Amino acid sequence: MIRTENLTKHFGPKVAVNSLDLEVHEGEFFCFLGPNGAGKTTTIRMLTGLIKPTQGRAFIRGFDIQQSPLEAKALIGYIPDAPFLYEKLTGREFMRFVAGLYRMPEDHLAAKCEELLELFEIREVGDQLVEDYSHGMRQKLSFASCFLHDPKVAVVDEPWVGLDPKNIRFVKDFLKEKTRNGTTVFMSTHSLSIIENVAERIGIIHRGRLLHVGTLDAIKALSQSPGSLEDVFLELTKGEDA
Amino acid sequence: MSQVATIAWVKLRMGVHAVASVRNESRLKVAVISISAIGLWLFVFGVFFEGFGWLARFGGTAGDFALTIGDVIMARMLSVLTLAVFFMLIFSNVLVAFSTLYRSREVAYLVQSPMSYRTLFVARFAECIVFSSWALAYLGSPMILAYGLVNGAGPAFYVASAAFYPPFVLLPAATGSLLTLVLARIFPRLRPKTLALLAAVVLGLFFVYVRIKLSADRLSEENFLPVLLDASAQTQSPFLPSFWTSRGILAAATGNLGECLFQFLLLLSNALMATWMAIEVASRLFYPGWSFLQGQDRKRLRPLGKGILGRLDSLLHRLPNPTRVLVIKDIKLFWRDPTQWSQFVIFFGIMAVYIANLRNARMYTENDFWRNWVACLNIGACTLILATLTSRFVFPLVSLEGRRFWVLGLAPISFRRIVWQKFWLSVATTSTFTVGLVVLSGIMLKLNSIYFILSVYSVCITNFGLAGLAVGLGTLYPNFHEENPARIVSGMGGTLNFVLSVAYVAVVVGAQTLVLNWRVLGLFQNPAAFWWALGGVLVLVTVVSGLGMIVPMRLGLRNLNNMEF
Repeated sequence: MIRTENLTKHFGPKVAVNSLDLEVHEGEFFCFLGPNGAGKTTTIRMLTGLIKPTQGRAFIRGFDIQQSPLEAKALIGYIPDAPFLYEKLTGREFMRFVAGLYRMPEDHLAAKCEELLELFEIREVGDQLVEDYSHGMRQKLSFASCFLHDPKVAVVDEPWVGLDPKNIRFVKDFLKEKTRNGTTVFMSTHSLSIIENVAERIGIIHRGRLLHVGTLDAIKALSQSPGSLEDVFLELTKGEDA
Repeated sequence: MSQVATIAWVKLRMGVHAVASVRNESRLKVAVISISAIGLWLFVFGVFFEGFGWLARFGGTAGDFALTIGDVIMARMLSVLTLAVFFMLIFSNVLVAFSTLYRSREVAYLVQSPMSYRTLFVARFAECIVFSSWALAYLGSPMILAYGLVNGAGPAFYVASAAFYPPFVLLPAATGSLLTLVLARIFPRLRPKTLALLAAVVLGLFFVYVRIKLSADRLSEENFLPVLLDASAQTQSPFLPSFWTSRGILAAATGNLGECLFQFLLLLSNALMATWMAIEVASRLFYPGWSFLQGQDRKRLRPLGKGILGRLDSLLHRLPNPTRVLVIKDIKLFWRDPTQWSQFVIFFGIMAVYIANLRNARMYTENDFWRNWVACLNIGACTLILATLTSRFVFPLVSLEGRRFWVLGLAPISFRRIVWQKFWLSVATTSTFTVGLVVLSGIMLKLNSIYFILSVYSVCITNFGLAGLAVGLGTLYPNFHEENPARIVSGMGGTLNFVLSVAYVAVVVGAQTLVLNWRVLGLFQNPAAFWWALGGVLVLVTVVSGLGMIVPMRLGLRNLNNMEF
């Protein structure tokens, strides 16, 4: 579903992502883990076509994001860490806007918007301007709009900022449910406890290089003295901040 | 280091970094803007130098005055300009103070720091002064230099002008801040309808005043000088700071240093007094006002299907998606941003004043020579209004996507579609106003068919050229970090767009004016030669417009496609 070949990104002399070869399968919940500045967000931005790789390629369901961007993007849903939305639109208008961008048929559009607004508990504020939303409400709107077009691949970048424990639980369950229905979830996060709960496989990136990929147990087994994922992560990344 | 000094140091460092970042800008852009800035300064100097020189050649004396008529008019002009600038400074300081004191995110950081509100105000007040008054130094200096050179003023005049500048900008800055501090306590409590009514009353009174005092009918009468002196009599009130300034500077020009010093101290003492009052008021009113604005109940509902904006979806249902949602989004973002539509309303005011004054130009349409000039100037005025519209409102469209560009970047649509959508939206909206304006002005001026057709064609074709320039350059030089459209426009890319837009208008209007004037002056040997020349000019205008549209759009698109978000 997601495949990268020698994916590399240079920012001037700095190598942000170095020869990343990765494959994430259909319906898989894949967590991307690494210290600050390891190259997680840069990888995500290359996967979603927001930046161009210096070398290598990224495929979404076989579509090269650079060669066939429109086909690949139609399959992706993205939730950024900082949801910058159109402040002067209402939540409901933003949903309609996103639906239009994805050329969704008008037939059941209104019902679908309402369903997602209801699901993420922002239906009541749907007619308010986004600029009046709290950070958590913006994040929920970001989620609702992301799943409006039923993406086959959900790319999620540290989505927990601003969400309360109840909503974190809800989002975790929601994403898990989506993977059961065949959606691939590629999530970058620092929340190790959440990774332990949801990840089917984990990729650890450090200084732009993919160090290890495997299941939670396989990753834990990499440590000299197996403990929590936190201990393993700190050992593998030589004590850098998560 | 004191807290104010610390903030000043930080601002200085930010300024240094901003200047240093010019190295990363395109050399062409920097060169064009630098040359334009110098060119504009020289142009303003040239206009004032020639204008003052022309007035200085006026002979005779004015009534009981021991001065020439030219001296009297010049002195009055200086007073009028000083008064106008003084009120504009107060107005701009009210706006700048509101955004600097209440809207800036920096204030939230400063409020939570261990800093008194008095200190916080002083720090932000200094920023207000810089923001609101730099343009006066830039555009006022050529005027002062021109006046000094024409009148052969000595060094005292220039020293006095420089000395008067700080208190002259300090006083309106303090007054503007005082007004803002008070208004921020009153206005949020008023209902929107009351605010709209107040604004309508103020605007109405302003237009009535302009109609009565500055009517071109009155100024075009034979008793020009008394009318001018009467119209500008209010500027001579000894209670006006602008009068102290102009009188003090003029006294320095004539070597009357005692008078100059008196006026200077009068201005300085009032400026310091106003500043002290502003600081005192700020120490009491700033925090309650800021806190109130932060704690307002924000439940501004905009239900779909209600009002014009809410019905746009059904009104534009013939447009296919995603173009439709992009157009609707741009229209809604525009009308829900008060800084955008309030300035758009001012444009309407300018257009209304222009149309209202056209009837005074009819007296010049009696003979061929003036008829030709009025028609050409009308094309110039309409296309310049259009250039200002596109520079102010169209250029920032791409930049305003800002940090939300990821939404568009992720969607399965090409950047080409997004950029061309902005182009067509611009053409559709600006042509509605400007074609209407040129048709109405043509009818009011009773232009004959050739001038009428040329006027309409020029405005139609420049709608495409100017939209292409504004959208193309806005895409080539976007500023995704700035949310304020006025600041986006005042950046380097915006300045370049405005300069190129004016140059393009100059080519379009200049080429037509040249051919039409030659015809009036009888320089064509036969009518066929005129028609050939006119045809050539129309081809030139069309080609230049096509290039003005296509080249920036292509460069902008290439830039956007290579950009990373």
